[in-house]
Amino acid sequence: MRDQIEGSPGTSMHGVTGREPVLAFSVASPMVPTDTTAKFDLPVDSEHKAKVFKLFSLANPHMRTFHLSWLSFFTTFVSTFAAAPLVPIIRDNLNLTKSDIGNAGVASVSGSIFSRLVMGAVCDMLGPRYGCAFLIMLSAPTVFCMALVEDATGYIVVRFMIGFSLATFVSCQYWMSTMFNGKIIGLVNGTAAGWGNMGGGATQLLMPVLFEIIQKAGATPFTAWRIAFFIPGWMNVIMGILVLTMGQDLPDGNLGALQKKGDVTKDKFGKVLWYAVTNYRTWIFVLLYGYSMGVELTIDNVIAEYFYDRFDLKLHLAGIVAASFGMANILARPFGGFTSDFMAKRFGMRGRLWNLWLLQTAGGVFCLGLGLVNSLPLAITFMILFSIGAQAACGATFGIIPFISRRSLGIISGMTGAGGNFGSGLTQLVFFANASFSTAKGLSYMGIMIIMCTLPVSLVHFPQWGSMFLPASTDNVKGSEEHYYVSEWTEEEKQNGMHQGSLKFAENSRSERGGKVASIPSPPNSNPNHV
Amino acid sequence: MEVPTGFLVISLLLCFATTGYGVTFTSLQRTLVVTASPTEGQVLKAGDANITVTWGFNRTFPSGTDSDYRTVKVKLCYAPISQKDRSWRKTVDEMKKDKTCQHKIVARPYSASNNTFTSTILRDIPSGTYFVRAYAFNGNDEEVGFGQNTNGKLETNLFVIQAITGRHASLDIASICFSAFSVVALAGFFYMEKSKGKSSK
Repeated sequence: MRDQIEGSPGTSMHGVTGREPVLAFSVASPMVPTDTTAKFDLPVDSEHKAKVFKLFSLANPHMRTFHLSWLSFFTTFVSTFAAAPLVPIIRDNLNLTKSDIGNAGVASVSGSIFSRLVMGAVCDMLGPRYGCAFLIMLSAPTVFCMALVEDATGYIVVRFMIGFSLATFVSCQYWMSTMFNGKIIGLVNGTAAGWGNMGGGATQLLMPVLFEIIQKAGATPFTAWRIAFFIPGWMNVIMGILVLTMGQDLPDGNLGALQKKGDVTKDKFGKVLWYAVTNYRTWIFVLLYGYSMGVELTIDNVIAEYFYDRFDLKLHLAGIVAASFGMANILARPFGGFTSDFMAKRFGMRGRLWNLWLLQTAGGVFCLGLGLVNSLPLAITFMILFSIGAQAACGATFGIIPFISRRSLGIISGMTGAGGNFGSGLTQLVFFANASFSTAKGLSYMGIMIIMCTLPVSLVHFPQWGSMFLPASTDNVKGSEEHYYVSEWTEEEKQNGMHQGSLKFAENSRSERGGKVASIPSPPNSNPNHV
Repeated sequence: MEVPTGFLVISLLLCFATTGYGVTFTSLQRTLVVTASPTEGQVLKAGDANITVTWGFNRTFPSGTDSDYRTVKVKLCYAPISQKDRSWRKTVDEMKKDKTCQHKIVARPYSASNNTFTSTILRDIPSGTYFVRAYAFNGNDEEVGFGQNTNGKLETNLFVIQAITGRHASLDIASICFSAFSVVALAGFFYMEKSKGKSSK
C-alpha cells in the first residue's frame, strides 16, 4: 500500500514538518495495519516503517537510526558554531576586526544553503546513510584545519567549509522518513531537528570548558583554542564511523541491495520545482524562516562574545549563558509544533497562522529588549524569552509547511530551510559585521526587523481555510481541499492516477477547518489506494 | 508591609549609589613619569623580547599630591590604530568600562622614585601597536593618577608587538594525519561495502 509515489521528491522530506500529527507517539492498528510477519523490535507497517516512537530504545533499525541521525546533526552544529564562544581569544590571535568576525559568521551559515539543496539528491542516489557519513567525515578535515589558520582570510574560509556540514539536516529528516510511519513522522522529525539544533547551544558550553582544561594543562591561549578544535573534529569522525557501521538506509537493509528490486515511479523534478516556486506561500515562508531559524543561527554566532564584552563575563560563564539559548531547543521547538496543533484544533489553519505570528513577533520584541537592557539578569531573561519565541516559531513554521503543497513538500521544505540560512547570513552581514554600530544596537535592530518580516504571514491565504484576517472561500469547488491540492497535477497526470496521494491528503487535511470538524473518514470505495 | 518597602527603598538607593559614580580618566592628573625601553616603531616579538619600564612621581607636581597613592599598576595599552574596528578595545572615560589597557605588566606598592621592571612580553599578547601606561591606586583601589610613555594624543613612542601564531609543527602534523584518516576510513568503508555487494551477487 503506497499513499504517495515512492521516491518522489516530496516524500523524502515528508514530515520535516512538525505536523501529521505532532505529538502522536504511536499509530493505532486499525488506522495503519501492522505487518505481523516482520520481525522487528517495534510494531511496523507494511513498509516496515515503525509505528511507535520509543525514545529511550536503541532497537535496530528504527530507534538506532533515530539516535544516529540526530546525533550526527547535533555534531555538525557543534562543529559549525565551535568558533563562536572562543572568538574573544581567536580575535586576538588572528588580529581580527569586527568585520572579519561578522563575515566569518556569515560564511559559516552560507555554505549550507547550497549543500542542503544538494543533499536531497545525494540521499536519493546513495541513500541517507552514505549521504550523512560522507558529509560528516569529509567535513572533519575542515574542522581539523582550524589548527592551521593564521589570519582573517583563513578563518573565514575554514568556517565557510565547516558550515557545509549543516546539510546533515536533510539526511537526518530523510532518514527518519524511511524509518517511521507517516502518522508519527511529525513528532519524530520535530524532535530530531530540535535536538540537533541543540548542538549550537552545547558547543557554547563545550568549547570554553575544553579551552580552560587545555590551558590548565600548560598550553598558551593561542595554542589552546586550536587544540580544542580537535574534539569536534573527532566527534565528526566517530559519528561517521558509527553511522557507517551501525546504520542502514531502510528498515530492510541498505539502499544498494534494495535498489535492484521494485519499480519506482519517480515524479519529474522540473514539475515539482515549478509548483514549489510558483506558489507565493513558499516565498513568504522562506522569508519567515529566515527570521526564526535565521536569527537563531545568528545568535549562536554572536551571543557569547556579546555577553563577554558587554557584561565582562569570563569566557566560560559567557559560554554557559550563550548555551542556554541553544539548549532551549530541547523543548521550545516541539512546543511550537504543539501550540500549532492546539490552535488548529479550535481555529484550524487560521489558528496556526496566528500562533506563528504571535510566537515569532514575541521573539522579535524580546530580541529588541535584549539589545536595550543594561543589566545582566535582565539580559539573560530577555534572551531566554527570545529563544523560546524564535525556536517555537521554527516548530510552528513546520506545522504549516506541509499544507502549502503536497506534491512539492520536499522542495518547499528544502527551500524554507535554505531561507533560514540565508536569513542568518543576511542579518549577520547587515547588523553584526559593521563597525559603525555596537552589537547591542545590532540586536535591537534585528528585533525590529524580525517584527517587520513576520507581518507577511498575514498574507498567507488558503482558499479552503482562509487566512489571518480573511475567511475561507464559500465557493463549493474552489473552497475545497481537493481543489487546492489536485490543482498541482495536469489532466494527463490525473489520467495516470498520479494525484491519488494528494486526494487522500486533501481528505485528511479537512481538520484544518478547525472547530468541530474532525478528519472525515473516507467512504471505503472512494479511494482505490486505500487498503 | 513595612519591612518589604524599607528593603526596596534601601536596595534602590544602593543601586543608585553604585552606578554612575565611577572614576573617569579625564579626572586623573598625569602625576607619574613613565618610560619604556622600546624605541618608537620598534617591533618586539611576544614570548621573546624583553620590555623594561620605569616609573616615578612627577616632581613638577606639589609634594603631597601622592600622599594617598598605595599601589601602581603598569599596563600595556592599545594605540588608537589597534582600536580601530575593534570595539572590545574601546576607550571609555569611565575607568570601570575602559578597555584600552587590558594587559598588566606589573603591580607594585607605590614608591616615589627608582621603580623599574623588566620582563619578557607574554605569549598571550595579541599583535598590535602599544604604549605603556601606569595607574596609581589609593587604598580603595580607585585610580588617582596616571603616567604614560607617550604624549597626550597617543602619537609618540608607540611600539609594535608581534604575537606568536599559536601554531606548532606537531599540531599541523596531527591535523593532517587525522584528516587523512577520516578520508581514508570513509573511502575504505565505501569500497569494502561495494566489493561485498559485488561478490554477493
